Amino acid sequence: MSFSFGTKTPSIALSGEVVVSGLGKSYGAARVLSDVNLVMSEGEVVSVIGPSGAGKSTFLRCLNYLETPTEGIIEIGGAKVVAGGKLPDKASLDHLRRVTGMVFQSFNLFPHLTVMENITLPQRKVLGASKEQAQETANRLLKHVGLPDKANAYPARLSGGQQQRIAIARALALSPKVMLFDEPTSALDPEIGLEVLAVMRDLADEGMTMLVVTHEMHFARDVSDRIMVMGNGGVLEIGPSKQVMSDPQNDRTRQFLKAVLDR
Amino acid sequence: MDMLTQWLGWLPSLAPGLLVSLQLTGLSLLFGFPLGLLFAVMAAAKFAPLQWISFLFVEVGRGLPALVLLYLLYFSLPDAGITLTSLTTAIIALTWNTGAYASEYFRAGLAAVPLGQKEAALTSGLRGWTGFRIIILPQALRISTPPLAGLAVLVFQGSALAFVIAVPELMSKGFEIASITFEYLSVYLLTAVLRVTHSHFPGSGPGAGTPPRPPPATQLTFAPPIQGNPAPQPQ
Repeated sequence: MSFSFGTKTPSIALSGEVVVSGLGKSYGAARVLSDVNLVMSEGEVVSVIGPSGAGKSTFLRCLNYLETPTEGIIEIGGAKVVAGGKLPDKASLDHLRRVTGMVFQSFNLFPHLTVMENITLPQRKVLGASKEQAQETANRLLKHVGLPDKANAYPARLSGGQQQRIAIARALALSPKVMLFDEPTSALDPEIGLEVLAVMRDLADEGMTMLVVTHEMHFARDVSDRIMVMGNGGVLEIGPSKQVMSDPQNDRTRQFLKAVLDR
Repeated sequence: MDMLTQWLGWLPSLAPGLLVSLQLTGLSLLFGFPLGLLFAVMAAAKFAPLQWISFLFVEVGRGLPALVLLYLLYFSLPDAGITLTSLTTAIIALTWNTGAYASEYFRAGLAAVPLGQKEAALTSGLRGWTGFRIIILPQALRISTPPLAGLAVLVFQGSALAFVIAVPELMSKGFEIASITFEYLSVYLLTAVLRVTHSHFPGSGPGAGTPPRPPPATQLTFAPPIQGNPAPQPQ
């Protein structure tokens, strides 16, 4: 099935680090994601917020094809994929996953490998880095996330916050152009979550392009440049963070923000 | 006659049988476990014919009693023009049997690795065989090892069946002695003792599969230092 933009064709050619147009996903008749459009420039941080079942995670996971979108076009860091309900060719898929780094809610560190191996193995297998090169990068990143002394620990010996910071280092080791965060602090207690948010804040300050699905409203307001509010598988509204938080345009957004902020 | 004296007298004749039993078991495991892993991987293959082949071998290997498998191979292979020693035939039958059962343990191990691990591997660029080999498989093997150790013991017990196709293993050596001395109970009791004492495959005992507890992150001192006799303090 070929996808046609029809009337949705943008009048000017869009450019940016991330260009998502008309992204959608259906399971048969059930439509879980429809017509998501997003353009992000290099270094921009966008938070994706919204109620459960809004399609936030599905949207994020479509961007690196952990979920297969059924329609739309994804362009990230020079990789371009036209969705068709199946996996794209290997080269495009590799390219897409190469330019995106992913951080999961449940960390997903490799439990049988040490922290050092977690960070060096992908570099060696994917980038063909030498052991010394990979370890140098790993040590630099470990220092960066504040865990320089954990190189030889196994993930099970680390706290959740430490594991998530290692997971961020692991993703950064492949020098992605865009970092995707899927509720990175939802599995952590609020206090421990702060150490992860601090690392993400540093990352944003250094100019990393970041797309963050989150329920951390302070992070969304203070760190991200824009907020995208999703509901019912679509985008409810998108705008500058402070404006969306203080003066939401959409009724459903208002209701959601009230529920989140009043607690 | 004192039973222990009897036993000591029989041991030299039983020892070669025990060696054959261990050899039969060892080789069946050596070939059977990798075969089981191969079946498990084939069962997960995208290419359907590989799945069918795996299904066929696993279902026959598990569906037939080892005894029937032994007889079938022993009597059918010569008809097909293949003449093998009874020991080789027994190794093939038990390898098949072991491989079929082991494949289910490997499959269970592979299925028990959380999906998030595969996703993390994919997003780290570790796809296909590389990701399977260095991320998924080591975790699956760790899960499968305790039941496989149990299976190893079962294969050792099951190797006694090779007696029926004239493999000179422990059971048949015992039968030889018993048919001369008519001390059936005593002989078989001795073979039983030998079986039990050789059934301790590392990691197959009670409590196997429980990973050792990592030491606590901070050392706790349970005994407070007594004045005048200071206990050594862990740093």
